[in-house]
Amino acid sequence: MKLSAIVIAGLLLAPATGAWAQGVNDAQIASIVVTANQVDIDAGNLAKKQATNPEVKKFADLMVTDHTGVNKSATALVTKLKVTPEDNPTSQSLKSGGDANLKTLKGLNGAAFDKAYVDHEVTYHQAVLDAIDKTLIPGAKNEELKALLVKVRPAFVSHLEHAKHLQSSLGTK
Amino acid sequence: MTIEAIARRFALPLIILALLPSSSTGQVTSKPKPVTHTLTIEGMQFGPATLTVKTGDSIVWVNKDMFPHTVTAKDGAFDSRQIEPGKSWTYRADKKGTFAYVCSLHPTMQGQLRVK
Repeated sequence: MKLSAIVIAGLLLAPATGAWAQGVNDAQIASIVVTANQVDIDAGNLAKKQATNPEVKKFADLMVTDHTGVNKSATALVTKLKVTPEDNPTSQSLKSGGDANLKTLKGLNGAAFDKAYVDHEVTYHQAVLDAIDKTLIPGAKNEELKALLVKVRPAFVSHLEHAKHLQSSLGTK
Repeated sequence: MTIEAIARRFALPLIILALLPSSSTGQVTSKPKPVTHTLTIEGMQFGPATLTVKTGDSIVWVNKDMFPHTVTAKDGAFDSRQIEPGKSWTYRADKKGTFAYVCSLHPTMQGQLRVK
């Protein structure tokens, strides 16, 4: 379990410090934003059904609602700007990381599922937050796209704190 | 007709007459006019996070984020339920006191309303 979390963290963090720094264009940023949100919506939808702890279920529900809201705004902006999201190594690694997470989670039940889901949420939000700060905000050329990222950032901070709080409460049980 | 009945019969018109001048001319009464305060909910924050109002004032929270929020007093004094993106919720502060409130969905969001 821990191992897969580390692998996913690696997938997300390595580009943030390496390849991502080489610069991404707005079309690639759009793709990264939409994929990042979609990955968490998918995990949240699974956790809504499969989690046992009511607080974890509530968190999963919140992730689906919030990230759906962000994607709605992001899609509206991208459409308005006539930007076609462009697939890139970062969005691909987010997608494969998300798929791997779903595969792992589907094989788990009860407390093990709750823990694995929450652990991954902590890792995921931290990684996306790092990407927002190091790559996406500095890289965005369009002012409106940059403003959207700036506006979205606090949600990732809040979700990360929320997930960490859950993580520690699950750990003590 | 007893004195009391007469008094009751004339009391209502008298009260109406007494009220008419101040309401029709807009003269200043002892109570200040209620004020409407607008707060924004944006970037996972209540802005301003601390607000002091007078009894009878209204407070409007406008949700400028991309997802729902709530304005929920910790002591149960008020609860907006979900405020959808772009929507707002109005509360009339009729109860004096200091109310700590949160977004029940995002516990990291904290605010305080003081009603004097």
